[in-house]
Amino acid sequence: MAGLPGGRDGELAFTAPWELRAFAVAVAAYNNGQYEWSEFQLSLIESIRQWEQSGQDPDREPWSYYEHWLTALETVLAGSGLLSESQLDERTKAVLAIPRDASHQAAHPEPVAVDPAVR
Amino acid sequence: MSTHVRTKEEIAARVKALESILIEKGIMTTAAVDRLAEIYENEVGPQLGAKVAARAWADPDFKQRLLANASKACAELGIGGLQGEDMVVVENTADVHNVIVCTLCSCYPWPVLGLPPNWYKEPAYRSRIVRQPRKVLREDFGYELPDSVEVRVWDSSSEMRYWVLPMRPEGTDGLSEPDLAALITRDSMIGVGPARSPTPARAS
Repeated sequence: MAGLPGGRDGELAFTAPWELRAFAVAVAAYNNGQYEWSEFQLSLIESIRQWEQSGQDPDREPWSYYEHWLTALETVLAGSGLLSESQLDERTKAVLAIPRDASHQAAHPEPVAVDPAVR
Repeated sequence: MSTHVRTKEEIAARVKALESILIEKGIMTTAAVDRLAEIYENEVGPQLGAKVAARAWADPDFKQRLLANASKACAELGIGGLQGEDMVVVENTADVHNVIVCTLCSCYPWPVLGLPPNWYKEPAYRSRIVRQPRKVLREDFGYELPDSVEVRVWDSSSEMRYWVLPMRPEGTDGLSEPDLAALITRDSMIGVGPARSPTPARAS
């Protein structure tokens, strides 16, 4: 992630790969004409506002900017009928069900292919 | 909307899931998303704004054009794009110091500064810089301004994107534009710090 070596997290724009991905997906959807930027912006403002107003709630999640970004994106896309929360929930479950090393179950201590030299 | 607190793994999976659905629907391609990630992680950044600001320091006519219509002036340098359609540059002087914020979300002039740092987006900065700008500058950024200087806080919203033309430091006469640009930091274009001063030449 971009940032100075030894820089504090606060200096970065992204602290995890999923944040950069969520950002890029939102811009791609905008580029595809799925919403006006102002629609997305208003949805983002609303998500942030709700979080800020729940300040006294002991169960409130810690501040995470890109979670609001993701919520805003889901809300705008659901609002236009493009996708539903249940569809997204199901697909998320499917992604989580993929074993971490699905295609790397066994170590391969030798080269998997050798293209011999011609001397 | 799920009410349980999501783990980072769940959130990451949700982003993957969302992207995969949108790709299936033909809204985007993996390559397009990859390219955007690349651009906003590595290509767009404050070095672009520094180029513009350096030109404004070096060329008074350009500076006037920048102050009159920032987006149009930036376009002269091929700089512009998403979130920079309606930029306004505010100039720091000996009497006035400007600082920018987006009180409601994170509006920021991407084409000249890249994406905002986390602190800019946090509730603490967004509210406190408006209520107590001098205190925040001093305590959070180590930047003390004399009482004789007026502090103006500009709130980006709707489509307007403010950014700051910092004051040109002393001892920079005759520097080339690239050398001037090297002094202009992201923080100075947000207004939470000054531009850097040139390193004094070493005595031989």
